[in-house]
Amino acid sequence: MSLRLHAAAVIARRRLLETALSPGYYAALTVGLVLAWLLVAGFVRAVDSSGFDYTLDPAYGLIGSGLAGAFGTTFVAKLFAEGPFLFILYAAFLPVLLYLAVSSVFRFGLEKKVGAVELLTYGPADAAAYLLAALVKDLLLTLVALAALLAYLLAAAGLNNLVLGPAFFASLLILFFVAAAVYGYGIVAASLTDNSASAVALFLGVLLLFGGVMAGSFTVVEGYARDLASVAAWVIQWLSPLFYWHLALRAAEVGNWGTYLGAALLLALLAAVLLGAGHLTMKLRGVRP
Amino acid sequence: MIRTERLTKRYGSFTAVDGLDLNIPAGEIYGFLGPNGAGKTSTIMMLLGVVKPTAGEVRLFGEPYRPSRLDLRRRIGVVPEKHPAGAWSWMTAGEYLRMFADLFRVPRAERRIDHLLERVGLAAEKRKRFARFSRGMLQKLSIVRALLHDPDILFLDEPISGLDPFGVKQVRDLILEERREGRTIFVSSHLLSEMEKVCERVAIIYRGKLLAEDRMQHLLATLAGEREIHVDLEQVPPGLPAKVAARDFAHAAERRGNTLVVKAATRGGSRRALSQYLIDQHLVPLGIRERSLSLEEAFVTITGDNVDRFAELSGAR
Repeated sequence: MSLRLHAAAVIARRRLLETALSPGYYAALTVGLVLAWLLVAGFVRAVDSSGFDYTLDPAYGLIGSGLAGAFGTTFVAKLFAEGPFLFILYAAFLPVLLYLAVSSVFRFGLEKKVGAVELLTYGPADAAAYLLAALVKDLLLTLVALAALLAYLLAAAGLNNLVLGPAFFASLLILFFVAAAVYGYGIVAASLTDNSASAVALFLGVLLLFGGVMAGSFTVVEGYARDLASVAAWVIQWLSPLFYWHLALRAAEVGNWGTYLGAALLLALLAAVLLGAGHLTMKLRGVRP
Repeated sequence: MIRTERLTKRYGSFTAVDGLDLNIPAGEIYGFLGPNGAGKTSTIMMLLGVVKPTAGEVRLFGEPYRPSRLDLRRRIGVVPEKHPAGAWSWMTAGEYLRMFADLFRVPRAERRIDHLLERVGLAAEKRKRFARFSRGMLQKLSIVRALLHDPDILFLDEPISGLDPFGVKQVRDLILEERREGRTIFVSSHLLSEMEKVCERVAIIYRGKLLAEDRMQHLLATLAGEREIHVDLEQVPPGLPAKVAARDFAHAAERRGNTLVVKAATRGGSRRALSQYLIDQHLVPLGIRERSLSLEEAFVTITGDNVDRFAELSGAR
C-alpha cells in the first residue's frame, strides 16, 4: 500500500472510531428510522378502496400539499406511484446525509483552524490523504445507514403487506452516489473557507441553491420566474447531484438502465472531480487558515 | 542535511523571504532567530513543505524537497508552536501517539511510546485525555510524537515557550540528548537565553533576508561591539568614571557601589590598559571580571532600530 493510501486508511479509521463513540450519527439514524415508522403508519391510514390518497391522513396531507406546491403535482404523483417507500427512503435518509455532510464540513473547518490538518501534513499524510479519508469515512457510514434503512423498511413492508417496488431499489443505489457528490461539495466548501462556521454556511448555501434550482425545474407555474429558474437550472444542473439523481430515476422508471448507470457514473465522477478540486484548493491555499 | 538555495516567498507585492541561502549540516543544533514578521515562519513553512516557495529550492538529505515527497517527510519530526489538542479532545495521550505511530508505521509502537513517555516523565499520563494537559505536558507530548518514528531531522518551533523552569530544563536536556544521538535539530525561538544554551550555530533573519549565520561564539564575538569590564575597588573615587571614560580604551564608565563598570571594545588590550591606568592612579583592583554580550543583547542590538547598523557591521547588506 502506498504511503498516501496508508495514511488515508489510518485517518479514516480514527474518524470512524470517533463517529462511533459520539451520539450524533446514532441520533440522526434514529430520527430517520422514527420518521420512517411514522410515515409507514400514516400511509396505511391514507389507503382506502380507491388506493392511496394523501389527503386522508393529516401528516401526508401536509407533506403532499407542501411537495406539490414546491415541485408540482406530477412530482408527487410519481413519488407515490409505487407506494410510500420511495418518499420514506428520502425522508429517512435526509437526516443522516445532512448529519454526515455537515459534521464533516464542520470537523474539517475546526481541524484546519486549530492546526490539526497542518500537523497531519507534517507527517506522511498530505492533503490528498486527508480529504480521501474524510470521504471514505462518510461513504462507509452512508452504506451502513442505507443498509439499516433497507432492513427496517423491508420489515415494515412485510408487516403491512406492502412491497418496496423496483424504483425503491434503484433509488437506494443512486442515493449512495448522490451522497458521495454531496460530500464532495462539503470538501470543496471546507477547503475554500477558513473556519467551521463559514464552511458550513457555504456548504448549506450550495445545497439550497441546488434545491432551489430543482424546485424551479419542477414548478408548473409559467412566467418570468419560471423562465429565470429554467435558465439557471440549465446552467447549474450539470453541477447538481440532484440533477443526476432525477435523471437516474426517470431512466429507471422507463427501464433505461444504461442511462441509469450513466447517471450513477456521472455522480461518481462529480464526487471525484470535487475531491480533486478540494485537493487543488488546499495545495493553492495551503493547510493554514 | 538541510539546504536552501535562493529561497523566496512573495505574498502579492510583499516579499516575506528574499533569496535565503541556508546550509545546515547533519547532527547540529541550529537556531533560527528573527523578530516578528521577519520571515521566520514563512521560511519554516517552506522547509516543511506546507507553503510553496515563489522561487528557489529546498533540499533535504541532498534531494529536492516537495510536499509530495512523503518518503522524505517520514524522516522529519515537527514540534509546532501551537498544539491542536482541541481537535482530538476525546483521545488519551496513548491513543493520540498510537495514531501517529500508525501513520508512520512505527515498528513495536507500544514499546516505543512507553519508552519516550518515560523519558519525558509522562508515563503516568498515558491513559489520560490529553486535552486537559497543561502547556508543558502538551509540549512534551508533542516532542514524543515528533520523535516516535525516529526522524533524522527535528524541527522545533518555540519549544520552551510557556514552560515552567523545570519544564524548560527537561526540554533543553531532551534536545541535547537528541543531538548526542546524532539528530539534526532546527530550533526557532524568541527565548534567546535558552537558544544560547543549546544551539551550536544560529541564523538571524530580518525583513526576509539572512543577516547572519555563524557559530554561536563566533557570532557573539563579531556582534559584540563592546564588553563590560567590572573592577572591584575599595572605594570608587568621585570623578573616576568620567576620567576613565575619557581614555582611548573605554567607551563609557560608571560607578555601581564599589565597582567601576567600564564599557570597552571587544578587541584590543582594553583590560590591561585599564589595570595600568588604575595602578597609575594609586588604586588597587581587588578583582576584575569581564562580561561579554549575551545572545539576547546581541539580538536586541541587531534588530529593530539597530538593524541597519548591524547589517553594516556584518556586511550582509
